[in-house]
Amino acid sequence: MTRFGDHLATGALILLLLAAWEFAGQLKLVADGTLPPLSEILLRLTAEWREYRPHVAATLYTASLGFLIGNAVALAAAVSFCLWPVAERIFRGVNIAAFTVPPIAIAPVLVIALDGETARITLAALLVYFPTMTAAMAGLQSADPRAVDLIRAYGGGPLRTLWLLRLRSALPSILSGFQVAAPAAVLGAVLAEFGSGARWGLGTFLLGSLGRAEPDRLWGIGLTATAIAGLGYALSAALAARTTSLNRAVNIGVTGPEPGAANEAPVRRALLLAAAILMPLLIWQAMLLWADLSPIIAKTPMGVVDYLITGKTAASAQTRLLAALAETVPITIAGMLLGLGFAFALALLSFAAPLLMRALLPFALVTQTMPLVALTPLAVLIFGRGITVTLVITISVTFFAAFVVLAQGFAMIPKAAFDLVDAYGATTLRKLRLIAIPASRQWLFVAARLALPKALLGVMIAEWLATGKGLGNLLNQSRGYLDYGMIWTVAVVSILLSVLLYQLAPVLEWIGRRDQRDT
Amino acid sequence: MQGLPLRFTSVSKAFAIKGKALPVIDNLSLDCPAGSFTALLGPSGCGKSTLLRLALALESEDSGSLRIGGDSPRSVCRSGAVGVAFQDAALLPWRSVEENIRLPFEVLGRQRPDAGKINGLIELVGLKGFEKARPGELSGGMRQRVAIARSLATEPRVLLMDEPFGALDLILRRQMNLELQRIWSAKRPTTLLITHGIDEAVYLADRVIVLSPRPARVLADIPVSFSRPRSAELLRDPAFHLVCDRIAALLDPETSAASAAAETAALDAAPVAATAKSGTSA
Repeated sequence: MTRFGDHLATGALILLLLAAWEFAGQLKLVADGTLPPLSEILLRLTAEWREYRPHVAATLYTASLGFLIGNAVALAAAVSFCLWPVAERIFRGVNIAAFTVPPIAIAPVLVIALDGETARITLAALLVYFPTMTAAMAGLQSADPRAVDLIRAYGGGPLRTLWLLRLRSALPSILSGFQVAAPAAVLGAVLAEFGSGARWGLGTFLLGSLGRAEPDRLWGIGLTATAIAGLGYALSAALAARTTSLNRAVNIGVTGPEPGAANEAPVRRALLLAAAILMPLLIWQAMLLWADLSPIIAKTPMGVVDYLITGKTAASAQTRLLAALAETVPITIAGMLLGLGFAFALALLSFAAPLLMRALLPFALVTQTMPLVALTPLAVLIFGRGITVTLVITISVTFFAAFVVLAQGFAMIPKAAFDLVDAYGATTLRKLRLIAIPASRQWLFVAARLALPKALLGVMIAEWLATGKGLGNLLNQSRGYLDYGMIWTVAVVSILLSVLLYQLAPVLEWIGRRDQRDT
Repeated sequence: MQGLPLRFTSVSKAFAIKGKALPVIDNLSLDCPAGSFTALLGPSGCGKSTLLRLALALESEDSGSLRIGGDSPRSVCRSGAVGVAFQDAALLPWRSVEENIRLPFEVLGRQRPDAGKINGLIELVGLKGFEKARPGELSGGMRQRVAIARSLATEPRVLLMDEPFGALDLILRRQMNLELQRIWSAKRPTTLLITHGIDEAVYLADRVIVLSPRPARVLADIPVSFSRPRSAELLRDPAFHLVCDRIAALLDPETSAASAAAETAALDAAPVAATAKSGTSA
C-alpha cells in the first residue's frame, strides 16, 4: 500500500503547489503581478484559443516532422555504428558536435543555408538525433552476450544478430530515447521559429507577444508549449511501458571471455581521430555545396578562417568576439557550478527524504519538458534583465540531467556500506558525510559533462533575449546587421567552446580519480 | 543420424590482456570419435570454455587445427550440425518457450519445423503445458531445460555443452543427467560436456578428460567403462566413487602432480583402460 500512499502524497503536494500559485497570483505576491493566477491564465487561453490554433498547428507540424526525421536518422546511424564500429569512430566528432551544439547558435546559420521550413525541421531533427542515437546504441550493444554467442554458434552473422536479437532487445532503450527526444523536438521547433522569421508557430507568437508586457499571455504560450512537449513525453513513456515488461532480463549475468583488448596501431588511431575531426567540416562544406549559396552569405570553413583570422575584417571581428567570450565564459562556468550545486543538494535531499523527493519529481520533470525559450520572457519579467536572470535560466537547464545522474549514483552505493555505519549508530547526516558524499564524487564529473554544454545554451538564450551581452547578443546583433561572417563565426566558436567544455570534464574526472586513489 | 568426430590437433590459443599475451590453451590434442560422450573437467579459468568456443567458431585458434567431421567448425556450425547449450540459458525474454526452441532454425535460415516436433522436444524436457510461457514466467531450472531442448532442436550430430546444469540444484541436476543420457543414447550425437561436477562427468561420459590449470593441457584421459544404460543406482556404487576419487585427486593442486604420474602408470598397466585408450585413438 505504500505505492498508493506515495501517489496520494504526490497528488496532495501537486494540488498544494497549484493552490499556492493561484493564491500568489491573486494577491500579486510575485514581482508585482508577473505571476498571474493560474485561473486567469487558463481563462485567457481558452478565450484566445482561435488565435493560438494556427501557431500550435505550425509548431506541432515542425516538431513532429523533426521528431520523425531525427529519429529515422538516429536509428539508421546507431545501426550502422553497431555494424561497423569504425564508422562510429569516424563520426565521433559529428556526434559530439550534435550533442554540444547550442541550438540557438546554429538556428540563424540553418536559416541562411536552408529555406525557412527546412531549417526549422532540421533544427528540431538535430536536437532529436543525439538522445535517440545514444539510447539506441546503448540498447543495441547491451544485448545479452550469451544470446549473441548462441546466434553466432548457429552461424548467424551480424545482420541476423541485429534482426533476431539486438533490435528487439534495444527497443526499451530506444523508446526511452524517444522520451527525451520528444520534448527536444518541441524545443528545436520553438527555437527555430524564433530565429527564422516564420509567420506561424509558438516561437513567433511568443516573440510577437514579448513587447506587450502581458504576463498572462506569455504564461499561456509557455504552458501550451510545455503541454505539447509533455504530451510527446507521455506518449513515448506509455509506449515504453508497454514493451519494457517483456524485456526483463531473465538470465544470470555471466560474462564470457573478454575479446582481446584491441591493440590498435598508433597510425590507425591517429587517422581515425583526424577523420573524426574533419568529418564535421566536410559535412558543413558539403551542405553548402548542396544548397548552392553565394559565398557572401554562406561561409565555408575557409570563409570563416578568412573572416576571423586572415581577412580585412579580422581585427574588428576578433575584438568583438573576445569581448563577447569574456562575458559569456565566466557566467557559463558559474551557472554550471550553481546548477550542479543545486542538483547535488536535491540529490542529497532525495537521499535523506525520499518521500518528499518523489512528490517533487513530477515538477522537476515538467521543467524538463518545458521549452526553455518559451519561459525566458517570464523569467525576465520576474528577475529583470541582470545577471540573476542568466543564472536562473542556466541553473534551470542544467540541474535536471545532473540531478538524475547524481541520484542514480547515490542509489548505486552498496547497502552494505550503510549497514556498517548504521551498526555504529550513525545519523543520516553522518551517513551522508561518511559514505554518500565521498561515493558520489565520480558521478559529479559525469553530471558536469552533461551539464556544461547545456549551461552554454542557457547563457546564450538569456543573453539573446534578456541581458544583451556576450555571445548570444553578438549573434542577435549580427543577424540585425546582416553580418554573415560573424553569424557563422559565433556558431562555430560556440560549438568549439561547448566541445572544449565537454572535453574538460574527463580531465577533471581523471584528476579526481587520481586524488581518490592516493587517499 | 550419425555423430560427427571432433578432433583438436595441437591447438594453442592466447588472449591479449593489456598488451601481454596470456596463453589459455597450450598445444592441446583431443580426439572425440563419432558418437562418443566426453566430459571435460578442470580448475576454474583453465580454458575449458575457450575450447568449446573454438569448436563453435566463436574464437579462432592461434595454431594447430580443429576439425569436425573433417570440416572447419565454422562451416559445420553453419550447416546446423552442431547443437549448443551454455551455462546460462540465454533465452530471448520476449519469445515464448516454443519460439525460443525454434530460434536455431531462424538463424540457419531453414524452414520452420512442424509444431509436432517442437512439442515433442518440450515434452522430452518435461515442460508440457508451458509451450506459450515466456522465460520470465519460468524457474531457473525450467529455463535451462528450454535451453537443452533448443540445443537438440536441429537434431545435431555434435552436441557441445558448457556447464548446462551448473545453475541447477542437485536434485534437478540428477534428473537432467538422466534425461541427457536418455537423449544421447537415442540419437548418439558426439557430445562434449564441460562440467565442474565430477560425479556428473563420470556418470554421463565414456571418458573424462582432466585439464591442467591455465594454459590448458590434457592432464589425464580416464576411460569410464560402466555399462549403459546407467541407472541412478550407479551413483551409490563403490566402483563409481573410486573413479570419482581418482579424478578429485587429480584436480586437487596438492596431490595432482603425484596422482597424474600414478594415473599414467595405472593406465599403462590396466588392460581394461588400455583397450579403452586404443579404442579412442582409432
